[in-house]
Amino acid sequence: MSTGEAKPKLIRVEDLLQRTVYDVDHRAHIVVDSEKCAKCPKKPCTYLCPASCYVLVDDRIVFSYEGCLECGTCRVICPMDAISWNFPVSGKGVQYRFS
Amino acid sequence: MSLKVVVGIKWVPNTQAVRFDPKTGTLIREGVPSIVNPHDLDAVELALQLKERYGAKVTAISMAPPSAIKGLEHVIGMGIDDAILVSDRVFAGSDTLATSYVIAQTLKRIGDFDLALFGQETIDSSTAHIPAQVAGWLELPYMYYVDRVEEVDEKQRTVTVRRMLEDRLEWYQLKMPAILGVAMKSQKPRPVSIYNKLRVRMENPIQVWSNKELGLDPRCLGLKGSPTLVSKVTWTPEVPRKKQVIEGPPSEAVKKLVEKLCEEGVLPFEC
Amino acid sequence: METKFDVIVVGAGPAGASAAYTAAKRGLKVLLVERGRGAGSKQVFGGRVYAAPLREIYEGFDKEAPIHRWVRKERVSLVDGNRMVTVEYESDQAASFTTYLTQLTSWMVDRAVNAGAVFVDEVRVDSILRDGSGRVVGIDSGGERVYADIVIDAEGVNRLLLEKLGLVEKTRPSQVALGVKEVIKIGEDKINERFSVAPGEGVSWVLVGAVTGGMPGGAFIYTNKDTVSIGLVVYLETAVEMVEEPIHVMVEKLRTHPALGRLWADGDVMEYAARLTPESGYRYMPRKLAAHGLMVVGDAAGLLLNTGYTFRGVDYAALSGHMAGEAAVKALEQGDVGEENLRSLYEKPLLESFMVRDLRRHRGIEWFMSNPEFFKKYPALAAGVASKLFDLEGEAPTLLDALRSSAKEHGLSMFRLAMDMFRVVRKL
Repeated sequence: MSTGEAKPKLIRVEDLLQRTVYDVDHRAHIVVDSEKCAKCPKKPCTYLCPASCYVLVDDRIVFSYEGCLECGTCRVICPMDAISWNFPVSGKGVQYRFS
Repeated sequence: MSLKVVVGIKWVPNTQAVRFDPKTGTLIREGVPSIVNPHDLDAVELALQLKERYGAKVTAISMAPPSAIKGLEHVIGMGIDDAILVSDRVFAGSDTLATSYVIAQTLKRIGDFDLALFGQETIDSSTAHIPAQVAGWLELPYMYYVDRVEEVDEKQRTVTVRRMLEDRLEWYQLKMPAILGVAMKSQKPRPVSIYNKLRVRMENPIQVWSNKELGLDPRCLGLKGSPTLVSKVTWTPEVPRKKQVIEGPPSEAVKKLVEKLCEEGVLPFEC
Repeated sequence: METKFDVIVVGAGPAGASAAYTAAKRGLKVLLVERGRGAGSKQVFGGRVYAAPLREIYEGFDKEAPIHRWVRKERVSLVDGNRMVTVEYESDQAASFTTYLTQLTSWMVDRAVNAGAVFVDEVRVDSILRDGSGRVVGIDSGGERVYADIVIDAEGVNRLLLEKLGLVEKTRPSQVALGVKEVIKIGEDKINERFSVAPGEGVSWVLVGAVTGGMPGGAFIYTNKDTVSIGLVVYLETAVEMVEEPIHVMVEKLRTHPALGRLWADGDVMEYAARLTPESGYRYMPRKLAAHGLMVVGDAAGLLLNTGYTFRGVDYAALSGHMAGEAAVKALEQGDVGEENLRSLYEKPLLESFMVRDLRRHRGIEWFMSNPEFFKKYPALAAGVASKLFDLEGEAPTLLDALRSSAKEHGLSMFRLAMDMFRVVRKL
């Protein structure tokens, strides 16, 4: 389809997450046992976490909770039971406005 | 008589959510929620520790539009006893001088406080003026970057505080009443608890004071009382940089990075 | 301080807010506890709500609720690469509307508060309390306990509390789907223009096929007042096996899809959101929906209908909450909050309601929702047929010719095609 219109550009996930509002707590609401991750063959969290909180660095999972959208996907798909999952306290975390 | 502590709270836009529209050159504020200035939560936490140690009664104050009630509910949820929202149209447009004047007069009306705690600065303007100016209006001792209250001597009416500077720690003894600016990120603010939040609903711990209660001269308030002029705002121009990405595993990439920085001669040590 | 309530509702989503509203309106002392800041701040959904059940619960709903657009056009597209075949249904009747769940929930919580419920936000409930004989007596938050005769669990799809109670197993990938969504602002007039709708009227659009990389699931597009909500739903069980690129890249590919992206190319992405949703409600339903002093409502009860062409979660949630609120009133009047009584007052009418009847009827959706072939081959087939019919360079084929040759290209026999179609129709 070549209409000559401006084609929308892909937004990187880091920038996408900036469109969503957070009040990040100093306490992490999710804790990941990276030793278990090291033994995980598929690491589906690296594909299916919509906020890309799980990133592979040198074949190791690096987890950060700050961009978490609180969906619960990682908790359900983790084949290693490596994730202690909960919601943030004090109303912290993601602050949805237009969803 | 037990210690009486006041904490200043600012209701600020969550700056993480404010985006810059490159087309119009303005800030996109639609739907940006407000929060309690995060640095004020350090002051709240320090005040709550005084409550635990000395049985202090802690009152939060805020000069803001009525929507700031939500922020005061949040800090009462953390354990603050009660709160005063100072809210009036005549305060709108106040700079730090007019604001500190209103807050100082509010403290005067509260009267018998021993310590007034403020956050180091706010995330939406970062002037760090308020605690110093409040101390100025009230002619009270003032210490900033405080990260710890070592001791309160209620008989001698003194407080000993530690302050945290970049390269050293310092200890000061101040006569009470005193004004303290609490160092940002120096505390781990505690979570909201259900009984404290229930207290918000059941006990009505928030008072609203307008200028009727304070009776301040309108010439000292709002735009009229604000000598500060914002003469110019510029956006930091983008500095052209070399922008190299070093590929590979971090352990090797860091080595390469250090080598490059050495070549550029920007490291403070011999390579 | 008062520490005992008639009813504590855990979670102020559509289910919890409606439970609190109904119970408070009938004079019960209700505490509604929400982990988010204010009402609605943790709410995400696709984008469309069916109105009829909400009208029954909330007086003046049509006038006061934050309704963006009434859905007048339903579109279903089969997407194959950059080609798609779309069916559109237009009606002068609108049974559903678009909105933001953040706004709608906030409105519902306001109603509950006006009816007398005590609303406490920023508080996470950590467990549901039971006494020595297993009766539910209240809640625990950070070690502080609040008591009630009845607790209504409206915690949502992530059932941390019910799991702790041992009433449900830990959620499995086969039970839930992941929805990821972007809200794009393009302006009210542009929406009217580009989607050919009148002001206040909107489009609901479901797409299957290449939009999920052939994974079971689909994409959705809803028009709001001045924004569009677009997103993907993928079934976690198959996604874990089949996913080939990060889910956020797939959503971005939907937004920049050559045939769709033009609709919002000049728009601004206002929010990015995600949530889990019960895959096929009936499969996610707990063994029982009530115990002594406890009722389970909304997503936590697995009450979400997915027919493949439409999702119903919000109205089901609200209606179940409303029913639990009414059951609480009756149970307290009778002075019996025991399991048997709550099951007969709440669970029984719920299981006999149209909601659960529909959930049962649409169970067959699981077959083609978890059948990857449907999502890969049929969109390709449909696009192939359309291409043969319309991208003419020579002789025009008959419809049957086009179908036969396109089926052959995609390795499907006409018999297989007919059988699958029959199955789908029967199961929907």
